[in-house]
Amino acid sequence: MIRRLTRISAAVIGALTLLLLVDWAVATIRTPKDDKLVKALQEKVKDDASLAPKLAAEQKRVTDYRRSRKRRDNWTGNGLIAAAIVFLYCAKRKLPRHIPAAPQRATRSTGDNHGHACRRQAEATPDTIDLAFVDETVARIGRNREAAIPLLQAIQTHYRYLPDEALRRLCEITEITPAQIAGTSSFYGQFRRSPVGEHIVKVCHGTACHVAGARQVSDELRRYLAIPEGEDTDPSRQFTVEEVACLGCCSLAPVLMVDEHTAGRLTPTTAPEALRPFEKEPA
Amino acid sequence: MGSRLQLAVLLLLLWLPCGAFAQAIQYTRPVETAPQEKTIAGGYKTPSVQKPLPRDYWFQVMDVVLLAAAMGVSVWLVLKRRSRRWLIGLAIFSLAYFGFYREGCVCPIGSLQNVAVALTDPKYSIPMVVIATFFLPLFVALFFGRAFCGGVCALGAMQEMVVLKPLQVPRKLDRALGLLKYAYLLLAIVLAIKPAIARDFVICRFDPFVGFFRHTGAPHMLMIGGAFLAGGMFIGRPYCRWLCPYGALLNWCSRLSKRGVSITPHRELDCGLCNEACPYGAIEQMRAVRKDCLYCARCYSSCPNEGERARAKDSLVAIGGGAK
Repeated sequence: MIRRLTRISAAVIGALTLLLLVDWAVATIRTPKDDKLVKALQEKVKDDASLAPKLAAEQKRVTDYRRSRKRRDNWTGNGLIAAAIVFLYCAKRKLPRHIPAAPQRATRSTGDNHGHACRRQAEATPDTIDLAFVDETVARIGRNREAAIPLLQAIQTHYRYLPDEALRRLCEITEITPAQIAGTSSFYGQFRRSPVGEHIVKVCHGTACHVAGARQVSDELRRYLAIPEGEDTDPSRQFTVEEVACLGCCSLAPVLMVDEHTAGRLTPTTAPEALRPFEKEPA
Repeated sequence: MGSRLQLAVLLLLLWLPCGAFAQAIQYTRPVETAPQEKTIAGGYKTPSVQKPLPRDYWFQVMDVVLLAAAMGVSVWLVLKRRSRRWLIGLAIFSLAYFGFYREGCVCPIGSLQNVAVALTDPKYSIPMVVIATFFLPLFVALFFGRAFCGGVCALGAMQEMVVLKPLQVPRKLDRALGLLKYAYLLLAIVLAIKPAIARDFVICRFDPFVGFFRHTGAPHMLMIGGAFLAGGMFIGRPYCRWLCPYGALLNWCSRLSKRGVSITPHRELDCGLCNEACPYGAIEQMRAVRKDCLYCARCYSSCPNEGERARAKDSLVAIGGGAK
């Protein structure tokens, strides 16, 4: 909508400018001719009074033309200003200034209908989960309360997070209560209840990195990936941004890891570049 | 502090001779070229339309008051409120009032010629409002930087509105082009203080934007103005930075200012986002340079820390609102 308005107003600006230029060009050609004509008539009228009405008519024509041109140009000018206002307003809204990629990424990946891998995955996870794995694991590990942590670990390894369906199934077929699962899975940092992105980005927030600006690196990544407030994964499920305690390479601070690859000495400007090699180009 | 006060006093002293003669003379504009009533017989009365009267005096005073108020608001918005959004509002007002309604006159840029003439020609006098229009922005610049340029100057506001996707001009080129404005200032003064017969107010004659305000003008000036605006979409405010002769004066005055745009004092991140955001090349080593800073507040709106500040303030306001 805004894009179209921008184009239309730009076209209107171009057209009105052209109109003004043409009008001006026509006037520059006509004015001296008209002046010469009127002057010649004035000279003639001095000798021949019968030409007076013709002179009057001619003068009226010239005046009318000039007044109508003035009026026309005034309106064209007003239109030009209005079109310029619309154009600038729309163009400014269309151009995000410093965070170029963020909002577009989200719309781009939901908008593509070929459905690349991570989108399929994102859609597949919520409802259609193969729960056979839970049954198998329970049969292998056991159905006592003591088996809760190994079971959760196995489920997390398999699904990469703890899907609600799997946990519900777990409660049905073991002695473990929903309360115990809720308690355990929220107590240990190793468990997560929401799906992860394809790549996990660990931003170090250890002392050295904190001092070197890890907060800004995290903020910039979240902005770049358009991760909503309170979540840690971007809408297209490509990256999950986590804050970790220490990656053990303080000399590279501030540092982050994308899966197993480390990138150090970052700034908010260079941090998104560390993700680029892992980004999937939407088809 | 000392030098600033000295300069302020100097400006005041400059002000006095300009104003000394000005107020005594009643302003009339007789129609001299047209046939006079006496020469036309039969009790002919010249219609009053042919004697365009100046605006009422209180109207002119109001212009000055509005100028002063707009600069005050500009200083407050940029230094205290630190809000670009409101500054845009101010710029739109200035563009509408000083630009389209007052048709770009009196403006401090052109008034420098009148002041130059008034200082050199004892027969020439200018009204108090013009003197005030000329000196007020300089005074403000002496203490707060170029607050006039940001949201008050109609020419600046017009260019501010069209900035779309500014490119960074290489610093050396920027500096070199910046010298043009001193040459222009010199030229304008030299041509203005010539004897009355040969006097030429080039700044007004070659004002690129006044034609838009007045909906008329020499075609070549309108085209130049259009080119400035079209170029201004990608190069931030070319006229202000490289040509504006009044900008040269403001540049000198603002060097002495103690306060001015300061990017997140004490809390800077060294992230350089402000540097990228400044379309006018006025940030050096993460600090706004007083003499070049045009008070647009873009550096604030681009700053993550400023955003945090604003959010914190908003939430405090929200809490305060909830408590009552």
